[in-house]
Amino acid sequence: MEDRQALLAENIVKRFPGVVAVNNVTFELRYGEIHGLLGQNGAGKSTLLRVIYGVHKPDHGNIYIDGRKIVLKSPRDARMHGIALVHQEITVIPDLTVLENIALLGFSWNWLTSRFDYASFKEYIDRIMSRFRVELELSEKVRNLSAAERMLLQVVAALSINAKILLLDEPTSPLSLHEIERLFDVLNQLRKEGLATVFVTHRVNEAIDVCDRITILRNGEKIATVESRAIDVHTLIKLMLGREPEELYKVRTDKDVELVIGRYATEIPLIEMRNVSTQPQRAAEMPLKKINLKIYEGEVVAVFGFVGAGKTELGKALIGLTKISHGDFLYMGKRVKIKSPVDAVRYGIFYLPEDRKIEGIIPHFTVASNMDISSLNIVKRFGIFVDGARELRISLDMIKRLNIVTSSPYARITQLSGGNQQKVLVARAMLTKARLVIFDEPTVGIDVATKAEIRRLIFRYARERGVSSLVLTSDVDEALGLADRIYVMRDGEIIREYINRNVDRDEILKNLA
Amino acid sequence: MALKSSINSALAKFKHFYSSYELSRALVPLIVLIIASIAMSPQYFLNPMNIKVVLMQITPLALIATGEMPIILMGSIDLSPGSAQAATAMIAAILTRTTNNILLAIMAAVALGTLIGVINGVLVAKLRIYSFVATLAALVIWRSFVIIVSGGKLIYGLTQYAMFTQDFGTYIPIGFVLTVFIIIVVYVLLTRTVIGRYIYGLGSNEEAVRLAGVRADFVKFLAFTIAGTLYGLGGVMLIAMGGFAVDPWTARGNELNAIASCVLGGIMLTGGSGHPLGSLLGASMLTILTNILVLLGVTEIAVQQTVVGIVLIAAATALTRGLRYVK
Repeated sequence: MEDRQALLAENIVKRFPGVVAVNNVTFELRYGEIHGLLGQNGAGKSTLLRVIYGVHKPDHGNIYIDGRKIVLKSPRDARMHGIALVHQEITVIPDLTVLENIALLGFSWNWLTSRFDYASFKEYIDRIMSRFRVELELSEKVRNLSAAERMLLQVVAALSINAKILLLDEPTSPLSLHEIERLFDVLNQLRKEGLATVFVTHRVNEAIDVCDRITILRNGEKIATVESRAIDVHTLIKLMLGREPEELYKVRTDKDVELVIGRYATEIPLIEMRNVSTQPQRAAEMPLKKINLKIYEGEVVAVFGFVGAGKTELGKALIGLTKISHGDFLYMGKRVKIKSPVDAVRYGIFYLPEDRKIEGIIPHFTVASNMDISSLNIVKRFGIFVDGARELRISLDMIKRLNIVTSSPYARITQLSGGNQQKVLVARAMLTKARLVIFDEPTVGIDVATKAEIRRLIFRYARERGVSSLVLTSDVDEALGLADRIYVMRDGEIIREYINRNVDRDEILKNLA
Repeated sequence: MALKSSINSALAKFKHFYSSYELSRALVPLIVLIIASIAMSPQYFLNPMNIKVVLMQITPLALIATGEMPIILMGSIDLSPGSAQAATAMIAAILTRTTNNILLAIMAAVALGTLIGVINGVLVAKLRIYSFVATLAALVIWRSFVIIVSGGKLIYGLTQYAMFTQDFGTYIPIGFVLTVFIIIVVYVLLTRTVIGRYIYGLGSNEEAVRLAGVRADFVKFLAFTIAGTLYGLGGVMLIAMGGFAVDPWTARGNELNAIASCVLGGIMLTGGSGHPLGSLLGASMLTILTNILVLLGVTEIAVQQTVVGIVLIAAATALTRGLRYVK
């Protein structure tokens, strides 16, 4: 290790409406090191990375490169300073060749002034590739490349513009084990050549294997920076997930579980999946492998696994958005086919998406109309008219019951904080006549107190109204505090099932280590 | 000092009003335009005959703009209103000529308009063709239809349609009153019904609305169909307000006027935002703008169009200010 400081991001604060994504984080990167940025979904890793890459302007804090203070207004600025980002969502053009894509990614800022000489450019790239031991067929169409090769292409493009600092945003999540090794070989070569690499991941083992130092983020805050040689997997997981006060999580008792256990042997489950597999339709999608899953009436079931384990794909398979290629889907013991969310609603299955902004809220709508978009059939009058008075009554009732902080039911949803927006979405689910509600990461990016509130709401709702809940979560304490049963998921497979009674937290985590 | 602070607070109030009411995005510039027009030449602009001419010119444009509006609110676009208007006008003209039954002719025009909307709807909602492409095809096809059925000839002297231009009270044409009535129906549809809610929702966040279990494709289909019906009515009014004659190239470029009306009326092209009376206000603005140019002696079409273009840019800039990205 050279030990010379490459980049210093000092006291970075980045706020988004309703949430502090990065809170006073100081991050130091040295030449000749691979620096892991470890944290759960919503911990602020990607936001920090985007601040360093000039996508987001920090609300507070400074960035220094080689000890000089700089202001990054755009990714273009960052690249000028030798910072390159390798995207998770791969940004290459499939119909061009590898070489053409490298040229496009690399020369994008000075194509006006430089004449493109194909032969000498190829020679230049060949030199870089042999120096860093990257193997790529330059004349191949990118369409035919594997995910790993596309990643390497981006690395080569970054090297071609003499980048000194490489930012890799969750590079391993779409890769197979073999491909990951290939990527790590290149990363090690980069380290030898003295480059500084930031490696964002939520996989603890990988971080320890490949990184020199690891910075752990949680809920937007830096927990620690540790030498990876001096730490073990177990401590690292604990640092990453953190323990929050027990009472905030315990929304149910073991006795609650006893009440439902008796039914497992006798009752027909509301929903059952038998050996369900799926075929991914997009590159980032995790295929489901032989899923066996049962959900009984009025039961709270959690599926626990890290980001990218296939939880969202499982949730979407239940509402017909992920196509089931093999296996049976049973509703009250009968085989059914659910092809779209419209079908799902007909069967009383309602999915509350993980990404509030993209798939959840309707930004131009008021709080009231965001709540009843799925249940306008109970708000309407004369077949087609929205009954404003009834809408107001229902929304006021929900605002009171769910303790939603808003100036009025007619306030725009975007004026609410993240936690309150989520509560509005929970209200949306509750207003439907659903028999199963799938909550995909219901408390990610939400402050601790509201988290606990939402968990209590989910639990009470299931018990009082007999509505089943499937909670997809990457927070082990959420699963333990909320569910009657817990499925543990990894790489598209359900690897364990626990009845949530005297279950040891560390034992569950061991499954994923 | 006191004056300054009271001006400031008035300004702040105005800002609040302007930013909080979607209607004011269109209403304020319209009022400014009317005041400017009056100020420039009151004797012409307020002349009863001129007011009637302006209202007659607004009528067919307001109808097709109102058809276009729900589609834009949904985040799609329709390029067919000009051709649809011409096709329905031509059918009405031919039927009026051959059967002399104006009611039959009007019904046929509205039915054809609805059919055009149904086809657009199927192309977009069922076959999943980009609305821009599907309706671009419709633009070309229905114009060809007009040229074929008319044999390339002008049909004129359709004086039966004079009933729409008669005065309602004082110098307000009956056709305009009917149009305002139809626009109120669309207003109610967009603000008070479930369909209207879904249309706005689709424009605001289609993914969320689909996940909520809404039959989004059906809503899209319906919006295009309603638009088609309004284009048919726009075709009828085109005969009435356009000198009782239809030529094969009538209403050419009206799709752009319809879209421009919506933009001037404060309907966001990104979808989800805009007041349902925006199309009427926008069409009024566009018409008054041309009218005042004529009154000022600018009779050259090219100059008029240039001014309209510049105003459109100004309106669009005001509309998208504060947005992070625009496509």
